[in-house]
Amino acid sequence: MPFVQEILKHRSLSIVGLEKNTGKTVCLNYILRRLNELGVPVGVTSIGVDGEQVDSVFATAKPEVTLYEGTRFITSEQHYMKRQTVSVLEHVDSRRTALGPLVTARVLVRGKVLLSGAATTGVLRGQIGQLCNAGCRLAIVDGALSRLSLASPTVTECMVLATGAAVSANLKQLVAKTRFLHSLICLDEVSPAMRAALSPVEQGLWGVDDEGVPHDLGIASVFLIGNAGSDLLRYGRTLFASGAVSDRLLKALTPLGKDITLVARDFTKLFITPEAYNDFTRKGNRLMMLQRSKLIAVTLNPTSPQGFLLDSRATCDALSEALQTPVYDVMKIEQ
Amino acid sequence: MRIKELIKGDAGFQYVVDNMELMSAAGRRKMLDTEFSTDAEWLNAEWNRMDKAIAAVRKHKYKKPYVDLRHCLMCLHDLRGTLASLANHTPLNEVELFEVKNLAQLCRTAAGAIEGFGLTEMLPLPNIDEVFSILDPDHTGIANFYIYDSYDPRLAPLRKELSALQIAGNDPERIAALLTEQNEIQGEVCVRLSDKLVPWAPTISEALEQMAYTDFLLAKAELAIAWNLTRPVLGENIEYKALINPRLKKRNESTGLRYQPVDITIGHGVTLVTGANMAGKTVLLKSIGTAQAMVQCGFHAPAEKVETMLFDGVATSIGDDQDEMNGLSSYAAEIIKISDIVKRSRTEHLLVLIDEPARTTNPTEGKAIVQAVIRLMQNASSATLITTHYGQLGGDCRRLRVRGFVEDMSDIPLNPRNINLFIDYSLTEDKSGTVPHEALRIASLLGCDKELIDRAADFLNR
Repeated sequence: MPFVQEILKHRSLSIVGLEKNTGKTVCLNYILRRLNELGVPVGVTSIGVDGEQVDSVFATAKPEVTLYEGTRFITSEQHYMKRQTVSVLEHVDSRRTALGPLVTARVLVRGKVLLSGAATTGVLRGQIGQLCNAGCRLAIVDGALSRLSLASPTVTECMVLATGAAVSANLKQLVAKTRFLHSLICLDEVSPAMRAALSPVEQGLWGVDDEGVPHDLGIASVFLIGNAGSDLLRYGRTLFASGAVSDRLLKALTPLGKDITLVARDFTKLFITPEAYNDFTRKGNRLMMLQRSKLIAVTLNPTSPQGFLLDSRATCDALSEALQTPVYDVMKIEQ
Repeated sequence: MRIKELIKGDAGFQYVVDNMELMSAAGRRKMLDTEFSTDAEWLNAEWNRMDKAIAAVRKHKYKKPYVDLRHCLMCLHDLRGTLASLANHTPLNEVELFEVKNLAQLCRTAAGAIEGFGLTEMLPLPNIDEVFSILDPDHTGIANFYIYDSYDPRLAPLRKELSALQIAGNDPERIAALLTEQNEIQGEVCVRLSDKLVPWAPTISEALEQMAYTDFLLAKAELAIAWNLTRPVLGENIEYKALINPRLKKRNESTGLRYQPVDITIGHGVTLVTGANMAGKTVLLKSIGTAQAMVQCGFHAPAEKVETMLFDGVATSIGDDQDEMNGLSSYAAEIIKISDIVKRSRTEHLLVLIDEPARTTNPTEGKAIVQAVIRLMQNASSATLITTHYGQLGGDCRRLRVRGFVEDMSDIPLNPRNINLFIDYSLTEDKSGTVPHEALRIASLLGCDKELIDRAADFLNR
């Protein structure tokens, strides 16, 4: 029973994919079945819309999410009406989504449901709290498309990363793309003292002096960095980007020499390419996280929506070696 | 006119509305739908309710019944649409039935809380326990809901079989058939339950509206306490002691500037207000307009003493409505507005507030226009307040002057940013018929170009 015990050390879990069709739902079904066998009360919701019977982009058959007795779930009114379970309504939210208000219900007789949820991480955080308050030992958030924001450590405590042939049918490329995201997820965390000093910062780019005190550099967004040049280092060689980190910021910092430490909030705030990142680190600079996400496992879906099928064993082995992390074929663990 | 429409043209009233701590969307709807009332009886009754609500809030603010009630209101959903469907005999679905059950429970809890601080007589809630019972066949007492087994004898055996098959997981066709059958039965039950609830629809609506009103009234009471508002008295004149403009007061407090409340009395006919630039004439008009709207919507007003009369409406011409896209210059937009006011005042009893009429055209014609407006408004039944920089306007109207710039009002050295410390915003009766000539002095205090001021002074002396 891979990785389920590890999940149980946490209160909330997100399942995110590098791409659509990387097997998030299969992975969720596996986790739900295992937790049911262990008798753990769980709550489930989604970011955006998921759980449809037929994939709305590629029109491929998609597995539905099966919920067991006692599981609480949050979905939209319209999807609730299509559920194939017997369940009790416990709460209806006053906010409306395109598919009606979000409802919370508890399953009486197991069956399949369509999951949808809040589109913003703020509301999602509230829902995770609501599920936990209702008695769920673990709240699971199913991802949608290739959205990563739900895996931010400020939203969910731990994550499972789904990858697969949908990312690339070329094994080398698949490994490279997965390894890059994996390396960003696993970047080092700053010291607790620095985290305490930087956490309250809400906006802009900040310079950190030798005493660890942050100073506003007067740049509201990395998109406004312009020709700031070495002026960026006037307080010290540690910088904190409270919002998004883009290639543009890395490219502005790379020529300024070595030993620059750039701190980002968490990996979901990184919008960077491997090229820009490699140039940045090759100069002796490094990227760190205010808070690191706890990656529980990487799963693989060897089939792509276009019909490619990768060799499961060879791909899992190649990925495991590259990531130094166990990688599971979701189709196989489900059996 | 309702508050919804009034706040579009009155930023001061919008600020009041934005500061109402309403707990529910239904309460907010209730507030926005409140009419600008000309009914003295209704207003006095509403102010009586406010007095009781204020006393109750002061006494119970942090006590359990009050906190419980606010929490109830926070959980209140605006089910107007659902209740309208029900009244039209449209069957409700499970989620809607849940919402109705939840409302019934909130209504019961709210009624208990209201009794806890002694306002049951003023804020009575209908008893809809029967609605809760219809939706709680197993007597759980909890506001959860589903189509319970006890609603239909076919459900229990069906669900038992479904559960066994789902656990075994080996007969998808039978599972699908059972799910379809269950959905059909559930649909039938929803229709039966809706039929039972139809006669209750008006009472449930009444409960919702009454809870929404409770939310609105308590928010008004809380605002009256927080802002130190005063209950208005209806009389023959408009008389404010220490009138404030809440929005500006807040702005001044947050930027460290002082704020000076103003006393003013006006009656029927025309009152002219003169005074130097920056002396607060425009703010005075806006404050009076906002206060009058608050009064006639059943709020308390922002002054230490509030006596006023009721008008059919507040008509204003304040600020520059220049609109290039409509092809209207400042003057055109203004004169059209003033013309409308003159027309309306022939049939309506208005509070008219006009800020520096005809200031954007040539002074000769401008002055003539102002004189015409004054004569016409003097003959109307309205109360009119006009600010102006024109002197010698003639006409037998009352004149007030803002005291204005007082050089020795403060010991701090004067600079363009603290000029506010040297202005006395209070009003004084003025029999002279002249206007203050302080434009150049103010310009020089504001640090304007010296050559500009000197040249202007030269021309003035010629």
